[in-house]
Amino acid sequence: MMIPVRCFTCGNVIGEHWEEFKARAREGDEDPGEVLDDLGVDRHCCRRMMVSHRDLVDVVSPYQ
Amino acid sequence: MSDADFDVQYIERDDRSARVLIRGLTPAFANGIRRAMIADVPTFSIDTVRFVENSSVMFDEMIGLRLGLVPLTTPLDEFEVGDEVTLALDVEGPATAYSGDIETSEPMVEPADDNVPIIELKEGQRIELEADAVLDTGKEHAKHQGGVSVGYRHLQHVTVDGDRGEFDEDETNVLRGVIETEDGDIVPTAAFDHDLSEKYPGKELTVEDVPGAFVFHIETDGSLSVEELLLRAIDTIEERADELHTKVSV
Repeated sequence: MMIPVRCFTCGNVIGEHWEEFKARAREGDEDPGEVLDDLGVDRHCCRRMMVSHRDLVDVVSPYQ
Repeated sequence: MSDADFDVQYIERDDRSARVLIRGLTPAFANGIRRAMIADVPTFSIDTVRFVENSSVMFDEMIGLRLGLVPLTTPLDEFEVGDEVTLALDVEGPATAYSGDIETSEPMVEPADDNVPIIELKEGQRIELEADAVLDTGKEHAKHQGGVSVGYRHLQHVTVDGDRGEFDEDETNVLRGVIETEDGDIVPTAAFDHDLSEKYPGKELTVEDVPGAFVFHIETDGSLSVEELLLRAIDTIEERADELHTKVSV
């Protein structure tokens, strides 16, 4: 639904990078790998949190 | 006191992450320090949440979990384990509630990162809550862990034995961590792309662990600085040793 605050595996705080990642790699046309390097999300456990995330707030909000 | 001859050298040093070479440790003691950094250094974390209003798309419990995971700055000189600090959050949609919107009653204890999204609010949705942050250790709950992916490796000594045969295949020689060259230079393997054949092309090499030399990789979630985390971890070991000392001598 919302990006998890921390990485499930290592506990690093990754939530803070989501909006920039989304703007640059999902909606923009930059390479996701390069954006993650730039944001300092180095470990592959943290990277998968960003790469595999999908925002669902817009999807569920009409049903509240 | 003891005959341990410690030597500490920072290889990389940042606010939230560092690599520290410590010589003169036994593997058991190195692991003790690692475990103390993870489980025994207390940090503040939100533990109880009282909701006044929550008309967001998430349940109270889910918001509570997210709030608990937000790292809070922890001045350990001022507080003891079990102390509580009250925080509050009040955001009305359309807006996103960020960790930076959390108001604190104690300016020393505040979110370490300001832009962690807590919950996205649509038109007419509102979140208002009061929360108690408690100082506790990582043993109690993982959200209280100050250290993130704390670990260590042996320092590795690289010796050049001579030249590789002229017609031998040039193989990659991947190594991770930190190496000590024959001249005594300390080089992180990232400097040569983790491949020894880049640094020593065409050489026959021997790689050996340096006994008693450990390279710690320490990262924190922002609640403490790296140095503070390491010092506090050593303090907790000392405290426990002292306690045992008194108990044994009584």
